[in-house]
Amino acid sequence: MNLKPTRSSTDSSRAELASVPSNDSDTMVDLSELQEAGRAIMRNVETVIDGKHEAVQIALTVLLAEGHLLIEDVPGVGKTMLAKALARSVDCTVGRIQFTPDLLPSDVTGVSVFNQAERRFEFKPGPVFANIVIGDEINRASPKTQSALLESMEERQVTVDGVTYPLALPFTVIATQNPIEMEGTYALPEAQRDRFMARISMGYPDPDSELAMLDSRDTHSPLALISAVVSGETLRDMMLTARGVFASGAVKEYAVNLVRATRDDRDLRLGASPRATLQLIRAAKAQAALNGRDYVLPDDIDSLAVAVLGHRLVPTSRALGHHHQDSGPVIDDIVRRILADTPVPVGVAASALTRSVPLVRAVGSTGAS
Amino acid sequence: MTSLVAQEAPAADSRPPVRQVSPPRAPRSRRGGRAAALWPLALSLLVLLLICCAALGPLLRGSAWWWVCAGVAAAVLVGAALWRRLGVPRPIVPVANVAVLVGILTLLFGGGTGLLWLIPTPETVGVFGGLIAAGGDSIAQQSTPAEVTVGILFLLAGGTGLISVIMDLLAVTLRWPAIGAAGGLVPLLAPGFIIDDGADIGALLAAAIAFLLLLRVDVYVRRTQEARRPPTGPRATLAHRPERQRGPGPVGGALMVGSLAIVGALVLSTVAPAFTAGGLVTARPGGLLFGSGVSPMINLGQDLRRPKAGPAFHYTSTGTQQPYFTLLTLDEVIGLTWTARIDGADVRNTVDDIQRPFGLDANVKTVPASTSVVIEGVNSHWLPAPARATSIEGLTGRWYWDSRTRAIASVTANTLGQEYTVSSLELKPTAEQLRRSSTDYPASVLGNLQLPVEPPPIIEETARQVTAETTSNYDAAVAIQDYLRSSDFIYDTDAPVEDGYDGGGVDVIGVFLQEKRGYCVHFASAMAAMARTLGIPSRVSLGYLPGVKSQDLEQGLGQYNVDSHDLHAWPELYFVGIGWVRFEPTPGRGTVPNYEQAADVGTPTTTPGGAAATGAPGLSPDRLADDSALERGTTPQSVEASNLLAVLGFSALGLLLLLLPGVSRRILRRSRVRRIRSGGAGAGLAWIELQHTSLDHGIPTPITDTPRAFAGRLERLGILDPASTEALERVLLALERSRFDRSPVRADTLAADLTLVLRRLHGGASTGIRLRANYAPTSLFATLTAVLRGDRRARTIAP
Repeated sequence: MNLKPTRSSTDSSRAELASVPSNDSDTMVDLSELQEAGRAIMRNVETVIDGKHEAVQIALTVLLAEGHLLIEDVPGVGKTMLAKALARSVDCTVGRIQFTPDLLPSDVTGVSVFNQAERRFEFKPGPVFANIVIGDEINRASPKTQSALLESMEERQVTVDGVTYPLALPFTVIATQNPIEMEGTYALPEAQRDRFMARISMGYPDPDSELAMLDSRDTHSPLALISAVVSGETLRDMMLTARGVFASGAVKEYAVNLVRATRDDRDLRLGASPRATLQLIRAAKAQAALNGRDYVLPDDIDSLAVAVLGHRLVPTSRALGHHHQDSGPVIDDIVRRILADTPVPVGVAASALTRSVPLVRAVGSTGAS
Repeated sequence: MTSLVAQEAPAADSRPPVRQVSPPRAPRSRRGGRAAALWPLALSLLVLLLICCAALGPLLRGSAWWWVCAGVAAAVLVGAALWRRLGVPRPIVPVANVAVLVGILTLLFGGGTGLLWLIPTPETVGVFGGLIAAGGDSIAQQSTPAEVTVGILFLLAGGTGLISVIMDLLAVTLRWPAIGAAGGLVPLLAPGFIIDDGADIGALLAAAIAFLLLLRVDVYVRRTQEARRPPTGPRATLAHRPERQRGPGPVGGALMVGSLAIVGALVLSTVAPAFTAGGLVTARPGGLLFGSGVSPMINLGQDLRRPKAGPAFHYTSTGTQQPYFTLLTLDEVIGLTWTARIDGADVRNTVDDIQRPFGLDANVKTVPASTSVVIEGVNSHWLPAPARATSIEGLTGRWYWDSRTRAIASVTANTLGQEYTVSSLELKPTAEQLRRSSTDYPASVLGNLQLPVEPPPIIEETARQVTAETTSNYDAAVAIQDYLRSSDFIYDTDAPVEDGYDGGGVDVIGVFLQEKRGYCVHFASAMAAMARTLGIPSRVSLGYLPGVKSQDLEQGLGQYNVDSHDLHAWPELYFVGIGWVRFEPTPGRGTVPNYEQAADVGTPTTTPGGAAATGAPGLSPDRLADDSALERGTTPQSVEASNLLAVLGFSALGLLLLLLPGVSRRILRRSRVRRIRSGGAGAGLAWIELQHTSLDHGIPTPITDTPRAFAGRLERLGILDPASTEALERVLLALERSRFDRSPVRADTLAADLTLVLRRLHGGASTGIRLRANYAPTSLFATLTAVLRGDRRARTIAP
């Protein structure tokens, strides 16, 4: 059931990884290279998942933004397929956890076992010690086990028996869950859903894609055919590059305005957290990088807002109405409405000049002397 | 992770996108540049001045003068703003303004004497001097509302220009806008000191609003400047120092403004020759105008030359003929001029009972007549009354009659607004009685035979020549009258071709008899002088012709209207036993008394005009064919012309107002494209322009659209061709890079791309939308309302 992590990275490489944020320009890949690599991954994944370009793109964006992805949909639409294809496209360690009600936290994080020969406890890392961790049916595990994973997701480290083990970078969890089948599941609480950068739904494929799928799956699983197109090293560099994408004040303000709007919205019981704002910008940077831009556009925010904000919001029961089972579509509509209602920070130059006059004056009068 | 973003972000965050546009502005604003022009201030000054000028409306006829004043004021103020824009040093600007003013005046009034029509030459100075003199005279002789002659127009234009120079100096250069506005208050208050009603209350209100607007604009400009260049240290320019340090305090300033305005208007209204209601006689300080030393004839001539007649008075009469109204009588030649001898008022000679005329025999037929006069526009100490008045009723004030000339005058009261009834005697002597009149003159009229020591010989020569075949004084008088009315003489009010010809001086008569050209003053004084050379006592009377019968049913058909063009001078000759008898030597004016037929017909003949009709049986006395009637034939044309001018002016104004939005939008677009091309502004402005043009063409530009989304919408409209789509994308990219990237990248083709897209947007629209975009650009109003409402958008999106 549990796939043991294949540990490709040594301790030394991990140390090197830890020093990566020093932001050396040598380690950053060029934007065009990044874009090219991104396209390659996309192509690779899309040989497996037909006609789900947008979902694949957001998945890749989240991977690049060092976030965690929650794929939420009905069974059989390729959630796991997407996760696995994405993981395989990158040459890095992949861990897979199939969540079941009897799964224990140690099954996720790893255990200390007593080594008889050396007569001491030895830590056996769990599946979470991998670059990409696929958590299947995450809502089937008990809250205790879920939180073991979620803590490692946020803090990127695992503490077992008082010893803290850092996780490898990059570290991305791609979790899937089934919103329909609620029997015997433990739905992720809002606070924990917040750890995921984005939630996507696959949705049913269109007829052509479904037909094509029938043909391609006729004899073999396409998943077996795909191989890694990007090395783990390149992926890290890509992440660094994406992190260096510029987000202007206007764009940040836009993101803040959007998030604040969700907090004030009458249809929402719970708005998005400040972490949501952070992750929105981070995701937007990754998307800008994937589009070959080294600056973020409000359009990036727009296109990611539903995926990034949707799973964090809790609608009021009134807004939910008859959608008792699945709040997804309602939430998506609310986010789209907020998007449509929030002014985009553009056209400041002319009017802001006169507007900013009192501000400047205040500064001048207090700071002149 | 969090810390990483925080480390990178501040460097980029601290730069507001606005800054990306501003750098080119900073070095220019030291001297010259857009900010230095202070357009809002200049324009609000102009508005204030124009409104104040309009307040002069009640004093002047027509509206063409206002346009001239507006043009001059606009030239000076806009010129001043341009000088500042070009960076002319502050002390030089007023000088440059004066230069502009002089240039404009030379262009308008110099009559081509200026060098290149703009630079005044000594000749131009001469022309200006003449214009000033003419204007001053014109003001002196006219009543309100005055006809705007070239001279007055020159004074108005020059005054407006001078005020605008001063206003600009005070309000913009020295930045004392409240005191600067006092200049505008001078024309505003002037009507209050000249006419009773004062300035129009609407004009006062409008001026007050414009004044407040000026102050508001000044505060706005000041704040903007302070914001741009905080006043720090001694290097801060004068204009931006706080008000407290310079200029008077608030209370002092208010007092100064008020006193400046009031004193200015007072001084102007007293020093400047004032307009007066009424024509001939001006009530000036220093007593009666027609006192000795001043020849009333000159004033009469000037009044006759007024372009348009003003109403003098109207009357109804019970007499058999319409009377001449005598104002005063000139019976002495002092020096070379005819003058009225003022004996001083005799308090016994009250007007309720005036003596029967001296020397009137009982056998001469007289007809009592009663004339009711209502004065409208005569402001004089002399009362217009028919000759040989016996009593006058209804006068207010104390009036006395002169025992020698029987002229009625008052020292304290004046004629304005008087309504009175004159009882008088119509004299109906027969020609026989006149012929039989002896030459045994009483002593009191012997003074009326005097002439200067050496009158021009031509007077006596002509008199002798004309009267060679006559046997009696009366025949001689008729002969002289006929001679003067003959076709040799031409009536011409513009006769005073050279200085001194105006008036009836004896030397002038000599010139007149050679030139054979003049008007009533010349004819009357010539006949009087010629009569004196023949030994007939004579005098010259000044007064009004009978006027024309009213055509207005409301006024009643018996009413006669007399206007300022009916002013007239005529000679009176003394015949023993009869008294002073009126003659009419002026061709085309008044009625020729025909004593030959008086007995039969009972009415004097009238002459339709010219000497050809002399002595011919008259038409009806109602149709007084004087040439002022002829003139009246021409005045409607000029009235129509001025109406046409007004219509043209108002249509031009209307057209201007209609075109204003479109033109301003176009200018705005041009200036934006120019700034973009010159690098003064970046893609942000280009995008604003694109959005505004879209608005103009009915394409909504929601603020919730991202630039890319908006561009996508534009492309989906289907009016862009591939080339302009590419251009649009370049503009979009430039905008995104300027807004959202670390540093804007200079796009060289930005202006060209923008122009291409705008053209395509405009060209692809339907005709209706194009018209709307051209003449009612929505973006302009949207911007205006946004500014008026405090610009919510700017607040929400300002970084």
